[in-house]
Amino acid sequence: MDVFIQLVVSGLLLGGLYAVIGVGLNLIFGIVRVINFAHGELLMIGMYLTYLMAGQWGIHPYISAVPLIVLFFALGAAIQRFLIQPLLDSDPHVQIFATVGLSTALMNLALLVFGADLRSIDAPLVREGFSVGPVRVVFGQVAMFVVAVALVAGLHLFMQRTYLGRAIRATAQHRMAARLMGVNVNRVYIISFGLGAACVGLAAALLTPMYSVFPTIGTYFVLTAFVIVVLGGMGSLWGAFLGALIIGLVDSLSGYYIAPDLKEVVYFGIFLVLLVVRPTGLFGLGRGSE
Amino acid sequence: MTVQANGTSAAPGAGAPPRPLARLTDPRFYVSVAALSLFLLVPLGIGQPFFTHIVITICTYAALATAWNIVGGFTGQLSLGHTIFYGIGAYTAALLAIHYNVTPWIGMFAGAAIAAVVGVAISYPCFRLRGPFFALSTIAFLEVTRLLALHEKAWTGGAAGLIVPLRLGWEWMIFRDRVPSLIIAFGLLVLTLLVSVAIRNSRMGSYLDAVREREDAAQAMGINTVMMKIWAVVISAALTAMIGTFHAMYVTFVEPAQMFSLPFAVQIAMFALIGGVGTVAGPLTGTLLVVPLTEMARVWLGAGATGLHGFVYGVVLIAVVLLLPHGIVGAVGERVAHWVDGLPGGRRRRPEPPLPALPPAYVRSPQGRTIGEPILRAHGLTKRFGGLLATNNVSVELRRGEVLGIIGPNGAGKTTLFNLLSGFLAPNDGTVEVIGPDGAVLRPRQPHQFAAAGVGRTFQIVQPFGQLSVLENIMVGAFRVHPKVDEAKALAMQIAGMVGLAEERDTLARNLTIGGLKRLEVARVLAMKPRILLLDEVMAGQSRADVERSIAMINAIRESGVSIIAIEHVMHAIMSISDRVLVINSGAPLLEGTPQEVVDDPRVIEAYLGKEYTHAHAH
Repeated sequence: MDVFIQLVVSGLLLGGLYAVIGVGLNLIFGIVRVINFAHGELLMIGMYLTYLMAGQWGIHPYISAVPLIVLFFALGAAIQRFLIQPLLDSDPHVQIFATVGLSTALMNLALLVFGADLRSIDAPLVREGFSVGPVRVVFGQVAMFVVAVALVAGLHLFMQRTYLGRAIRATAQHRMAARLMGVNVNRVYIISFGLGAACVGLAAALLTPMYSVFPTIGTYFVLTAFVIVVLGGMGSLWGAFLGALIIGLVDSLSGYYIAPDLKEVVYFGIFLVLLVVRPTGLFGLGRGSE
Repeated sequence: MTVQANGTSAAPGAGAPPRPLARLTDPRFYVSVAALSLFLLVPLGIGQPFFTHIVITICTYAALATAWNIVGGFTGQLSLGHTIFYGIGAYTAALLAIHYNVTPWIGMFAGAAIAAVVGVAISYPCFRLRGPFFALSTIAFLEVTRLLALHEKAWTGGAAGLIVPLRLGWEWMIFRDRVPSLIIAFGLLVLTLLVSVAIRNSRMGSYLDAVREREDAAQAMGINTVMMKIWAVVISAALTAMIGTFHAMYVTFVEPAQMFSLPFAVQIAMFALIGGVGTVAGPLTGTLLVVPLTEMARVWLGAGATGLHGFVYGVVLIAVVLLLPHGIVGAVGERVAHWVDGLPGGRRRRPEPPLPALPPAYVRSPQGRTIGEPILRAHGLTKRFGGLLATNNVSVELRRGEVLGIIGPNGAGKTTLFNLLSGFLAPNDGTVEVIGPDGAVLRPRQPHQFAAAGVGRTFQIVQPFGQLSVLENIMVGAFRVHPKVDEAKALAMQIAGMVGLAEERDTLARNLTIGGLKRLEVARVLAMKPRILLLDEVMAGQSRADVERSIAMINAIRESGVSIIAIEHVMHAIMSISDRVLVINSGAPLLEGTPQEVVDDPRVIEAYLGKEYTHAHAH
């Protein structure tokens, strides 16, 4: 029983980590309606930057989160403005391949610059564990979970309370109608992509002290993030959060009870069944087979 | 004849012109042969193993991209998991060779068969997913396959992989010299290109275009869209697996990470996209541009630059996507074809071969005006959308040679009734029967079955195949009657003339005006030569002169013996073409009678304009 409780707690905390990545992907997917295949590579670049800042200047990764959020907002906005916006009215094939091309180029650029070696940093406190009753948790994971909850709650308030947030939701529901109501749709898209990318910057800073960095680490996380987005439903913030918790639980439990190398098979299996049976996701409003 | 059977029979060489000699002197043929033979002659002439190796790589990748294009391009289903089939071909042949001493020449076909079955099994449930969702599901299938292959160490060798026993010679497809491998790789490239050309120039190619552009309209044209996509997957998967077999024997090593690789699957699609998705020459062109480019970059920067080739692929892809969204062939293909057609024997230098003469499709006959026995019977049709009763117990009977007009205010349920009568909606209650030419009672269910039973329909909201020309749009319908390309073309020309679209025949459908699109809807369905024609507001948006012309045309069609049900808001048109008019209001029949009886009935005025108006009028 203790093992089970430990697995559930670890799974939920892992879900917090996935949530920060998944929420960013879902913002872009739900609003701009483009799947950002380069999302994982943005994460990878953020992790290398965190690694460099820690190594060169001794900056604690949690502090480097601040410049990374700003930088990645700008990066995401630039991707939207110069890569996606010219293709908004093209075939979906072309949009997919624009981000696939970006993903391939960034991944291999990292391979050229840093090589395939694993790199990691040691940040004070982050990997220290402590006990809560029968359960042991790692400080970095708890921090990640708290940040995930704060992020989702903050974005939720932003979407509900501010004019910009309402404009974003309106655009997500109907691009033309929002435009007719005077919303600058292109600006909304640029901001949304920026916000999605900024989430990745935040995730990268939190992740680096716990995982090693290598050029293809993005693929690992982004495939999981796709599962979360489809599970939670396109464009639903809390859906993405719950989807992330579910995947965290599945990851932790199936890794222990089935086989560590088959846990991804389990959640990709869930993903496929869900795509076929309920493409709107568990909590979503969007349509998978429109 | 069912579409399923057509798919198989139409594939090889269905579009071949009747005179073989004319084909040989066509520069499109001899230039292609000359260009392709360079893939053999240049490496043989240079005789350098490394150069030969690069050409083998180009042939293999180009063949993979060409096979991918049948699903990703022709059908428009973006697969990013095609290495599943490549890996199946590689593993099947390798395992058969290792454990049972079976030659890869047999393993190749065993792998192709397994890949075809797997292809159907994984794509069938995913076909209703569009665009990014289909792509994501193919990625998920690939990841599951790769992880399972890694897990099943006992027979896949796990992460360590399997070494194919080094038995040399043609029987084992493994050679000390590179030339025999080059010949096999080249042969596979030619095979995939021939299959692509055969599909492109046949009815199947036209049907895949229709499915990709608009699935609903394709079904209304009598295409079994699911079967069509399945055939495309079967062909593509089988070819991909065969190339996988060859490549496994060439590198003499199989491992899950390489055989079921996601980056490789993306690369294959990338080559096709760079060259031009959906064109025959595109995938080869893309590969031919990108692979040598990366090899050159490798030579300049040294072998230590890992990741360089991927970086080049990514940058080229972004550049192509932004600058040439239709790929290289999309950008320059027409100019090249124009130049080639100007060479001796080319199409610009000789008259276009005459199309076969067809008898007129619609001939007025004296019997045309006589109304015969029932040809379509709908009984007690009821359709609910949640709590809304869109159609409430409607019965319709259409007789041979009759024109039945259906009118009713907006939201009365007219289009729902049409969708029930053509299989696009299944009724909650009630039946639709079509009486065949031999008197047999048919009960079609799917839209393509209705089309096969002789029911043709148009859509109120026009559904053109936007990227196809007007003539190609009409040919999709004409293929129902004439499986041969030139006969279908002849019929399409005839119909284009009938509806007044002859001059726009080479215009892309998406560039037509709304009036032109309405006429294209009619033309496409007329080319199917239906016995029963369902026309949904074909006169809306037409000019007054065009309405008069449409009335004359509908009269001519009915006089050739076609039975017609027409929904129309243009009252004077419905009054002049209909023998009988059915008024529908709030999902239920209000009354039925001759046009004159209907216009005189106060209930009709009430239904359209409300009670107050009738009362005001009466007093």
